[in-house]
Amino acid sequence: MCQSPTGSMQTRSSPRSLLDIDDLSRDEIALVIRRSGEFRTQLPDRSLLAGVPVLNLFFEASTRTATSFTLAEQRVGADVITFAPGTSSLGKGETIADTAITLRAIGVRVIVVRHNESGFPRRLAESFDGHVVNAGDGTRAHPTQALLDLATLHAEFGRFEGLRVAIVGDILHSRVARSNIVGMKMLGIDVTLVGPPTLLPDSFAQDGVRIERDFDAVLPRVDAVMMLRIQRERIAASLLPALADYTIGYQLGTQRLRLLPKHAVVLHPGPYNRGVELTDEALADPRSRYETQVTNGVFVRMAALDLLVNGTAVRA
Amino acid sequence: MRVLIRGGRVIDPSRGLDAIRDVAIDGGIIRAISEHIEERGHEIIDATNCVVAPGFIDMHVHLREPGQTHKETIATGTAAAVAGGFTAVACMPNTTPSIDTPAVIAEIAQRVAQAGLARVYPIAAITHERKGEQLAPYHELALAGAVAFSDDGATIENVRVLRNAALYARDVKGPFISHCLDDALHGDAVMNEGLHSAVLGLPASPRLAEDVVVARDVLVAADTGKAWHIAHVSTETSLDILRWARSRGTAVTCEVTPHHLLLHDDLFVDYHARAKVAPPLRGPQDSAALRAAVRDGTIDVFATDHAPHTLEEKAQLLSIAPVGFSGLEIAVGAYAHALPDLPLDRFISLLSTRPAQILGVEGGTLAVGARADLTIFGERPWTVDAHSFYSKGKNTPFDGFTFSRRVVATVVGGRLAYQADRGVLEPLAYT
Repeated sequence: MCQSPTGSMQTRSSPRSLLDIDDLSRDEIALVIRRSGEFRTQLPDRSLLAGVPVLNLFFEASTRTATSFTLAEQRVGADVITFAPGTSSLGKGETIADTAITLRAIGVRVIVVRHNESGFPRRLAESFDGHVVNAGDGTRAHPTQALLDLATLHAEFGRFEGLRVAIVGDILHSRVARSNIVGMKMLGIDVTLVGPPTLLPDSFAQDGVRIERDFDAVLPRVDAVMMLRIQRERIAASLLPALADYTIGYQLGTQRLRLLPKHAVVLHPGPYNRGVELTDEALADPRSRYETQVTNGVFVRMAALDLLVNGTAVRA
Repeated sequence: MRVLIRGGRVIDPSRGLDAIRDVAIDGGIIRAISEHIEERGHEIIDATNCVVAPGFIDMHVHLREPGQTHKETIATGTAAAVAGGFTAVACMPNTTPSIDTPAVIAEIAQRVAQAGLARVYPIAAITHERKGEQLAPYHELALAGAVAFSDDGATIENVRVLRNAALYARDVKGPFISHCLDDALHGDAVMNEGLHSAVLGLPASPRLAEDVVVARDVLVAADTGKAWHIAHVSTETSLDILRWARSRGTAVTCEVTPHHLLLHDDLFVDYHARAKVAPPLRGPQDSAALRAAVRDGTIDVFATDHAPHTLEEKAQLLSIAPVGFSGLEIAVGAYAHALPDLPLDRFISLLSTRPAQILGVEGGTLAVGARADLTIFGERPWTVDAHSFYSKGKNTPFDGFTFSRRVVATVVGGRLAYQADRGVLEPLAYT
C-alpha cells in the first residue's frame, strides 16, 4: 500500500563489500571457488593486495576464522592489522559512523569484521569508504563460511545444480545456516532444514527450502549433510531439555551414518561438540570433510579479498 | 478573545451534526453554531472546504517530563500536539520519576500551566515505580488529576497484583490501560517473529506475546469489573479476544496506532531502529484485520503512542536503540491514509468523542456551551518531514510519506493554537 522512501541502504555502488553471500553474483561465486582451487594448487605471489591495509576487527572471540583471515591476508600481501576490542562500547550510536570515518582516515581500506549483533557490518559499511568483509555477525550471516562450504561441495561433486543438502540443528541461531541457505538457493541446490521446532521455527520454510523433522527420513536422499553446533545455552533458554535428548532426534552417529549414501559427505562449520551433534565415529568417517573445509577457508578468503579489492575484470 | 470559524463543514458525532455552519467562540466557550453568524470583533478563521470537529484527544502520549527532557518536554510535546490537531493528550507515566504520586502530577500541572499549548491529562501508574509489585495510591492520584492508570511499557506479570489493583481501584474513576506483551516471550526482541526475522537473523517477538496478555487482562477485567482499555492492539487474535470479551459483556475498549494500521515487519533490512516499536510492526494480514476492526467498530480509539527519542538514541545499534517514535504530527494524515473511506463522523469519533468518553474528560463535542476545543482539517496533500517536527523526537518510519489529509487549524479553549500556514502560534515558554 505505502512505499517508504528510499532508505540509506545502498549508500554507494563501490567500493564493494561482502556483507552476505548474495553480494556476489552466481558467476562471482563460481569465480571465487575456481580461484580458491588454483590458490590451493599453487600459492600466488604476495602481490595481489600488496600494501593494502586490512584491519581485522573482531568484537567477538574467534580462533579459526580470525586465524584463517589473517593467513589469507598475509598470503595476498596485505598489511594486516588486528584489533580485538571484545564487545566494547565501540559501535554504539553515532560512534559506528565516527569509527568508520576515523579508520578510513588512518588509511584502512578493508575491514574484516565480526560482531555479536546481526547487521553490524551493514551499519559499518554505510559509513566506511572502503571494503567491509563480514566475518560473522550475530545470527545473521557468515558469507566466507558459506563460500568455503560451497567450495568443498564443488570440489566433491563438480557441480551445484540439483545437489541435495540437509542442514541440521540450531538453524535459528546459525549465521552459517543463513548464509548457506542464501548461497545454495542462488546456485540451485535443493535445501532441507532439519531440527526441532524450537530451533527451527516453521517460518524458515520458503521457496526452495523445505523443513523436515524426521532426520532419518532425510538422510538416505542427500548428497551432503551439514551438522550445526549445539550450544549448552539453549537448555537454560528452555529451547532444549538436555543435550542427551537432542541426540535422539538429531545426532549423527553410527546408526544414522548407515542411512547416509556412500557418495555423500558430512560437513561441519566447527567448532564441533563431540558426542552432541555428531559422534567420534561421524568425525572419523571417510565421508567427513571437516578438515577440507577448514583448509579451503584460507584459499576462499584470499580469492574473495582479491575479487573485492581488484574486481573481476583483472583475472576473469 | 472572540473567534468566528466561517463556512466549515461542522461534524459533531456526539450530536449527529454534519452541516455547513459558522461557529462563534467567546471566552473559551462555543457560543453559537448556525448557518450564518455576524462578525462582531471576531478573529476570523476561514474554514471553507474544511471540516470543523471537536478537538482531537490523543490518549496515548509520552511527554517525557519529568526527567527525560532531552527526549521531549511538555512545551515541545504539546506544541507537537496542536500541530497534529490534538487539543488534549493523555501522558503516560513512564517518566523519571514515574507518575505514581500526587506530587509528580502537581509538577506536571505546573509545567502545563507555564508552557502547555494543549490540555494534558496525566495517566498514573498502576504500581509503585511501575515495578508490578506494590499498588499505587489510586484515590490520591485521581484526586490529583489522574484520568486513567497504566504501567505502560511494562506488563504487570503477577496476576494477583493486577487483580488486587483492579479490585481496589474498581470504584475509582478512570480505566486501567494495559500494555500487553509477555516479558518472557518478548525477551530482547527487536521486531516481529516471522519470515522477515528468520531471514534477517534478528531476535523476534511472537504475536503470542501480545495475545496471551490481552486474553489474561480481559479476563481480569471481567473478574474484577474494572473498566479496562487495551493499548496499541496489533494482532488479529487480540481483536478476536476483544470481540469475545465484549460479547460476554466485559467493559473493555481498545486503541490502534497509525503505524500498526499501515506498516509491516519488512522495515528492518538495513538494521536501523527507525521502525523499532513495541508491540512490533506485524504483517499485512494483521494490519488488514486492524483496518477491518476500525470499520466494524471493534476498535474504539485512534491513539498514536507518541514516543519521542533523540536521533542519537535511535541511531544506536538495533539491540540498544529504544522502542517507539513520534506520532502526534503524522496522525491525522496517516489515519486517513490507512482508512480513506472511513466516514468522517467515525474518523472524528475515534479521535475525539470516544477518547473523551473513555477517559471521562470534557470534550468530544461541539455543543453550545461546551469548551471551545476544535480541530479543523482538510484534504491538502503534504509530505512528512521529521526534521520539521515541533517534537524533539524527529524520528518516524513515515518520514517522506505523502498524505492527503492535513490539520488546518487547532483551537484550544477558544485560542487559536496552530494554523497550517503559520505554525504553532504561541512562543514556547521554554524548551
